[in-house]
Amino acid sequence: MNYRSVLTTCPYCGCGCRFFLQVVDGKLVGVQPCKSDEISQGRLCIKGYNAHAFVQNKDRLTDPLVARDGRFEKAAWGDAVEKIASELKRVREKYGPDSIQVLTSAKCTNEENYLMQKFARAVIGTNNVDHCARLCHASSVVGLASTFGSGAMTNSSLEFEDAKCVFVIGSNTLESHPLIGTRIAKAKEKGAKLIVADPRRTALAELADIHIQQRPGTDIALVNGMIHLILAKGLAKKEFIDSRTENFEAMAASVKDYTPEKVERITGVPKEKLEKAAEMYASAPASSIAYAMGITQHTTGVGNVQSLANLAMVTGNIGKPFAGVNALRGQNNVQGACDMGALPNVFSGYQPVTDPKAVEKFEAAWNVDLLDKPGLTVTDAMNAAHEGKIKAMLVFGENPMISDPDINHVREALEKLEFLAVVDIFMTETARLADVVLPASSYAEKDGTFTATDRRVQLVRKAIEPVGDSKPDWQVVSLLARAFGSKGFEHTSPREVFEEAASLTPQYAGMSYDRLENETLCWPCPDKSSKGTPILHIGKFARGKGLFIPLGHIDPAELPDEKFDLILTTGRVLFQFHTGTMTRRSPKLEREAPEPLVEINTADAASRGIKDGALVKVSSRRGEIKLKALVGDRTAQGVVFIAFHYAEAAANVLTINALDPKAKIPEFKVCAVSVARA
Amino acid sequence: MKEDAAKICRRLLDSREVDGVLGLEMVGNIPTPKVFAQADDLGRFEVEPVFPIVTLLRNIWPFTGKERIALVVRGCHELAIKELAKREIVDLKRIHMVGMACSEEQARTCRCLRPYPTKTDIGTKVKGVEDELAKSLRKMTLEERGRFWEEQFKKCNKCYGCSENCPVCVCEDCALEDCAFVRTEGIPPSKAFHIIRAYHVADKCIECGECERSCPVAIPLRSLQRMLADDIKELFGYQAGMDDRQSPVVTTLEDAPLKEESE
Amino acid sequence: MPEFEPRILAFCCNWCSYAGADLAGVSRLQMPPNIHIIRVMCSGNVKPEYVVKSLVEGVDGVLVLGCHIGDCHYISGNHRTIKRFALLERLMDDLGIDKRRIRVDWVSASEGEKFQKVVSEFVAQVKSLGPNDIRRDAA
Repeated sequence: MNYRSVLTTCPYCGCGCRFFLQVVDGKLVGVQPCKSDEISQGRLCIKGYNAHAFVQNKDRLTDPLVARDGRFEKAAWGDAVEKIASELKRVREKYGPDSIQVLTSAKCTNEENYLMQKFARAVIGTNNVDHCARLCHASSVVGLASTFGSGAMTNSSLEFEDAKCVFVIGSNTLESHPLIGTRIAKAKEKGAKLIVADPRRTALAELADIHIQQRPGTDIALVNGMIHLILAKGLAKKEFIDSRTENFEAMAASVKDYTPEKVERITGVPKEKLEKAAEMYASAPASSIAYAMGITQHTTGVGNVQSLANLAMVTGNIGKPFAGVNALRGQNNVQGACDMGALPNVFSGYQPVTDPKAVEKFEAAWNVDLLDKPGLTVTDAMNAAHEGKIKAMLVFGENPMISDPDINHVREALEKLEFLAVVDIFMTETARLADVVLPASSYAEKDGTFTATDRRVQLVRKAIEPVGDSKPDWQVVSLLARAFGSKGFEHTSPREVFEEAASLTPQYAGMSYDRLENETLCWPCPDKSSKGTPILHIGKFARGKGLFIPLGHIDPAELPDEKFDLILTTGRVLFQFHTGTMTRRSPKLEREAPEPLVEINTADAASRGIKDGALVKVSSRRGEIKLKALVGDRTAQGVVFIAFHYAEAAANVLTINALDPKAKIPEFKVCAVSVARA
Repeated sequence: MKEDAAKICRRLLDSREVDGVLGLEMVGNIPTPKVFAQADDLGRFEVEPVFPIVTLLRNIWPFTGKERIALVVRGCHELAIKELAKREIVDLKRIHMVGMACSEEQARTCRCLRPYPTKTDIGTKVKGVEDELAKSLRKMTLEERGRFWEEQFKKCNKCYGCSENCPVCVCEDCALEDCAFVRTEGIPPSKAFHIIRAYHVADKCIECGECERSCPVAIPLRSLQRMLADDIKELFGYQAGMDDRQSPVVTTLEDAPLKEESE
Repeated sequence: MPEFEPRILAFCCNWCSYAGADLAGVSRLQMPPNIHIIRVMCSGNVKPEYVVKSLVEGVDGVLVLGCHIGDCHYISGNHRTIKRFALLERLMDDLGIDKRRIRVDWVSASEGEKFQKVVSEFVAQVKSLGPNDIRRDAA
């Protein structure tokens, strides 16, 4: 018996738990928690315990596939890669490099994301490179960068357990970030105060001291209301405001009108609750804000994030332990994908493509000429493809056919493309539309690094050989680059790629695989002597002084009307993950949540004659889906909730492709629907 | 203590008394489970921290063929192995137990009444430690206890850690995974989950405490198991792992012992 | 305010207690209507999981009725019943759930009157315990 225990990082969410993959005779047989891991402390969520289950599933793509006459035929790697290269070259020749869009994967490693964006920029010659952060925390990247100078979670995940007060808004933490949610639950048991703002009564809301059920899309009004009260009650931290921030007066003027009465009218939150929450947050010695999609996925996503930054700065809750504005990032490596520059407007390390110094640096490092104009985001690219302006897409490990808003629009856009290539581990709904599909290796079959939500960089270790004839994405990118005749992709290992990336990325400059063998490092880690930076903005903000932003309530793009009289808000459930490609192939996970459901309030269901478990039709201006109703009081009246994991009743058939103008993130959290018996 | 343990294991491997030693190895600064096949590999052998070593043994047992495996066992591990052996899930003839007594600190952390195995090859035995929470739960009224456990179970996010890490939680057709008994209705899970889990392991539980240690929200399952162990002792005069001729009391039809005495 | 009428499940074994229940009915013995009978082949058939499920989903009381010890159609099925439910009741007590919501008893095929007595006593007992509020904070 050949038994191995391989320490690696979980491929599911941004918590960044590490565990041992159990390998016997070359097969994955299970997962063993790691007691010495800082984040997980020898505990996992159900997805972690089943992180091995999908890897050697029979559906894994094992060979390159080329579409011919409506069917996929197996092809040799050389031929498939050659086809992709020649098609991309043809499109580039005919329409220019900006007619091509590259989608990288927040599931892939830092090394792979670095190479993917290098490929787009140095080989194809475009800045049209982006990934699913656009759909989740683009608002944070823009919002926090504008207020603090750095777009990432300000404190570390470990601190939640000893927090004195936690304000969770727009995050179903026990389900979406289990090992962070559980830390908050433990803090509560130790006497911490917990405020949860969520239109649904989630598992975490059940444990809260105060549960605020605001109308979806009214977060700025809510937070302005809290700031208004904090100022009125003299609870603001004047010394912090004076010495460490700027533009306070303009922000204070913007919240003057947000009296508890006005806030109640807009948000539906009773003024007594608002007062209690504001006092609770402002009076604790340190208060932490934790937030996620409920804040970011709006047409006012950037403003929502900035309002939280305002709230934290007004109370001096930045740059110290158990405080901060903590963006909980969804994917296992979405933070890393952003850090590695898989974004249309920045190189790695958030160095802008419009900055001549940055361009010079990367041109020298990569030995090519680079474009200094920002490229297209994922959401803009879908629209551009629909309009015929984007002609080809290269998609790594993303499934826009389920994850993007207004799926019918997405399908039309993708079908209009002259060429679509997809690199993935399973045949996804997006891959089915492709001209060429390349089989990628999963996290268990390669080395690399992931960066967790609290900027913690951790190693991913190869436990088994690639399944079938699949290849790790970093090798796929190299093959593609070489098919283009390009140099700069001759790395023989992920370690070498990391060295190159770290040398060009100040936040990672002090990191190396040798260091990461023995420690996890939170960036910035500027040099070899640095032990990393768990808490940001101590003493001063990344931009110097924190910037207050004056904000006011703006309605969501589509509100209920006579025809579509309910608000649809979308989200996740604990047992499934995103478009379900991995979890739906893990028997113990699929078993727990096998079918799509629409959560509807008891009163709303009664007035529509809908019984619990009945099949219903949910329609919006974009489309219609049929699924079972879950009747109860978890969701507030006037709001329905659908998890977006299920291809057979895809919530995103209904959602609206309305974007935040600065971050380009879709408003997944609000659109208008009608629900009726099917 | 790890040097003493390594010395014994080295001897076992050198003499080919066993084919492998299951234990921990320091990889960097992370104690990592490993099956050591050669005495020379034991350079970075480690015995801390306590981890579900018997659960791991049980999980890889089907792949061990005819190999004989040695492992360092604490008091609880020894009992767990005996319970598994009773059900023929592992074969005592192919297991060599190197007994290690736990430190005082460990005994206190685990609230363990028997922090040493029957045969202690390493370390010195220390006194058992009472579970204060279990004692205070006994003194509460029914309502107070009900409220206590309700608050605790409200935090549960159905990670199944208590079941995954438990050395004796072994049923092929797991009742917890049967939605006829435990509704799949999101989190927190139905209270049926906790009641059925506790009931099912009640007569097998050797009180290792892994259930509690692997709970992300620190539900004091160890204390619940302590109370149940007392109940079983009182009701049936039985203590899991301690007597290898007594049969598990609630899962066999007759009161006959599982094994013939001559074996 | 309407008086609380408990909902009670009674698992009755085919050979003894179900026949006894039948006899009670045929003899027109007065009994409270709160019992829903589930016939099983043997009281030893009744997995504690069924009882747990019933209580967790809001049933107010559960009766498990079998043959007298020594009379079990399957010889020792009811031995298993005693042991299982003794343990389950202890567990419920440890968890703060009132074990008086469960009762195990023996009723033979000819004991129509005993069936009536057991049922009436149990309904009265569960009534005095009040409604089972175990699901009060479920969604």
